[in-house]
Amino acid sequence: MKSSATPKRRQGAALKTPRKSAVKPAVDKAPQRGARSQQTRFSSRLRAWGRHHRSMAWDSFQRLIRYPLGNLLTMLAIAIALVLPAALWLTLDSARLLDAELDESATLTVYLELSADDAQSLRIEEAVNAEPDVLETQLISAEQGMAEFQQSLGLDDALAGLESNPLPISMVVRPESVDPVAMQQLAARLEALAGVDEVRLDLAWVERLRNLAELGRRVALALGALFGLGVLLVVGNTIRLSVESRRREIEVVMLIGATHAFVRRPFLYSGAWYGLGGGLLALGLLGLGNHWLSLPVSALAASYGASFSLPQLDVTGSTILLSCSTLLGWLGAWLAVTRHLSSIRPR
Amino acid sequence: MIAFEHVGKRYGGRFEALAHLNFRVARGEMVFLTGHSGAGKSSLLRLVMRLEKPSRGRVVVAGHDIAQLHASQVPFYRRQIGVVFQDHQLLFDRSIFHNVSLPLEIQGVEPREAARRVRAALDKVGLLHREKALPIELSGGEQQRVGIARAVVNKPALLLADEPTGNLDPQLSADIMALFEDFNRIGTTVMIASHDLALIARLRHRILRLSDGRLVADEGAV
Repeated sequence: MKSSATPKRRQGAALKTPRKSAVKPAVDKAPQRGARSQQTRFSSRLRAWGRHHRSMAWDSFQRLIRYPLGNLLTMLAIAIALVLPAALWLTLDSARLLDAELDESATLTVYLELSADDAQSLRIEEAVNAEPDVLETQLISAEQGMAEFQQSLGLDDALAGLESNPLPISMVVRPESVDPVAMQQLAARLEALAGVDEVRLDLAWVERLRNLAELGRRVALALGALFGLGVLLVVGNTIRLSVESRRREIEVVMLIGATHAFVRRPFLYSGAWYGLGGGLLALGLLGLGNHWLSLPVSALAASYGASFSLPQLDVTGSTILLSCSTLLGWLGAWLAVTRHLSSIRPR
Repeated sequence: MIAFEHVGKRYGGRFEALAHLNFRVARGEMVFLTGHSGAGKSSLLRLVMRLEKPSRGRVVVAGHDIAQLHASQVPFYRRQIGVVFQDHQLLFDRSIFHNVSLPLEIQGVEPREAARRVRAALDKVGLLHREKALPIELSGGEQQRVGIARAVVNKPALLLADEPTGNLDPQLSADIMALFEDFNRIGTTVMIASHDLALIARLRHRILRLSDGRLVADEGAV
């Protein structure tokens, strides 16, 4: 409606007597006054536009709470559609952390021969460091190795029964490049060194995990898109019904000069409210799920001697979720109303 | 104000609702449009409101061929025409006050100014004391007066009415017509479709008589 600020539009609708400003007045100050009145007209239009937005936002909110149960069900449908991709996203987020850890752990482990003593091991470390691709090395004595082994497996009692330490001195080598081929070549060179028993690199495992993470990412994206579409449809359908129920009103206001934007506005706000409500409910459901699962998960993690807590949506994540859901609601409403308005013609 | 130039209107390619219409209505004139039902009165008003475009010829309002208006301009054109409908077209879930303020709301008139104008319009049709009522609580004649208040709240240059006295008794009809005459007296161009021949004959204004979509008589032209 107030988008009529463009002169082109006003031109077409010039029923009233031509504006006086068309006749150039002789008074010097007149142009200034004209400019000012133009400005106030624009700012009053802007104010009117803002006023209508506010009143429609409030009006559609009141319509929403007038039928709480039905609207709550709509929001719940939206929330459920949002929870699954959001949960996957969270899982993915922790997978991303895992991925970073994987890059860190892209190392080779060099096992020295059992007979090697400390002096020998230092010489070998020097030789390894002389290799061009090696970034850093860390010697792990037989005792350290045993300690780590015990810690990670939790096999204290069984290992304590051993008479002598069966582990060789080992060395963790961090290569410059984590490229699988380069790592394999480096491993072959290191294995050729005197005093080295074996070189291990768990490349296949790293690759497999990385592929799995990529798969998860794609599944989450596809699901996100699919469920986003679901939200669009839920809101679209609800708005379609409400347009239908207010058809008469729409016809009347169009008869007396309402623009499409004016007619659309309350429905867009309804859609945005649905989206926002659905987003809030989704946040609640995620929190509830987190609460529900956290106890068994931490118990499970503890049984492996690890501490792990379920990932939670932080402020940024929650804001993104709410903005997305609100935007989806708004978009769904826009599609529904625009599609529908073309079929409504004033009688 | 209004000029019909060789206007014809066909529906669905066969039925000819209007044919060879040629007439002009001057600014500030009051014109009755009459003829038996189906003669094309409503079709003619629909053309002026730009609810439809003519199949042939031009409809010129205030110097503009309104068929040329872009769809986005049509709402702004309609805001300058006050229309009174036979079935009132009131919103039954809103008070009388809100029904009348609807055109101002659409145009974004500042609420205090809008309230002032709504009350002035309601006062004019004698319904100021019912502003909080719902349309359903009003009689047919009162509802029609609300419709008139809504049509004039905006001070339109052109006022159209389609059978405004359709379902009213003679006394109420005369009252309604007197209202239109009042608006005409302050310079509004008024065009009223009515088949109440006895009533409009008494009022001594120009009468355009339609029959089968053709203009058969133009009586009392100035």
